Amino acid sequence: MTADAFLFWFLAIVTLVSGLSVILLSNPIYSSLCLAMTMVGISALFVTLNAYFIAGVQLIVYAGAVMVLFVMVIMLFDLKKDLQAFTKGKFSGAVKIASVGLLAGLVVGAIAMSVGLLTEKTTDNPVTAGTGMETTKQLGQILFSKYIFGFEALGVLLLVIAVGAVALARSKGGTHEH
Amino acid sequence: MNTDFINNIGLTHYLVLAALLFMMGMAGVLLRRNVIVLLMSVELMLNSVNLTFIAFSKYLGILDGHIMVFFVMTIAAAEAAVGLALAVSIFKRFNEVNIRFFEHLKG
Repeated sequence: MTADAFLFWFLAIVTLVSGLSVILLSNPIYSSLCLAMTMVGISALFVTLNAYFIAGVQLIVYAGAVMVLFVMVIMLFDLKKDLQAFTKGKFSGAVKIASVGLLAGLVVGAIAMSVGLLTEKTTDNPVTAGTGMETTKQLGQILFSKYIFGFEALGVLLLVIAVGAVALARSKGGTHEH
Repeated sequence: MNTDFINNIGLTHYLVLAALLFMMGMAGVLLRRNVIVLLMSVELMLNSVNLTFIAFSKYLGILDGHIMVFFVMTIAAAEAAVGLALAVSIFKRFNEVNIRFFEHLKG
């Protein structure tokens, strides 16, 4: 087995096992720690795909900021272990798992078929096979030219979200009594 | 056993991995009751989509997928902030973050 292949399989197993633990462990704090592990695994997978800058952003934004937010809220709530962690709706859990499995099978099958068509055209392009610095430079140039309106819209969105989250959390039912 | 599939890592491998991660996230949303775990499952799904974007970006040789990942990450952070604010308000009122309490959220 080559080093590349070993790295991929190792990361894939780590990501899948910790991803499965997120939904199977009944204590939310363990779920969040497993989710952080998944994020780190995906960040390493980004490195194997030559997306060094995105890997760094993934580590900082997801594994850092978002997970800290989750862990902080869980600590704030002081939750006990869920006795009924799984829903009991009209459909039983087995039906839900079966339907999710069927969908996954469809998706994987569709991918396996369509990739046969795609791989003929795909090559390791020199654009993304370059060093991390070149990719980051090009990324910045695209972001501030082709996608400038999306970028501006994201700025507005973040402002609205910050105000909205504060308004939601401090209105009736928030952590402070009025 | 065919060793080609093990040794030659290609686009298919990343796409199947992303599909499996997406499936896990969806199963989490369908099966769990805790709102925080539900939000975490959504994050799992968004991450699998990011992986798909980056994989296609590499194997098709265009950088636009990276930009999409930026956008997805920002939306995910925003979604986490709003979702957790909702969870805080639910917890304050019912002392539990169960999804069934959300039916009481009509104005």
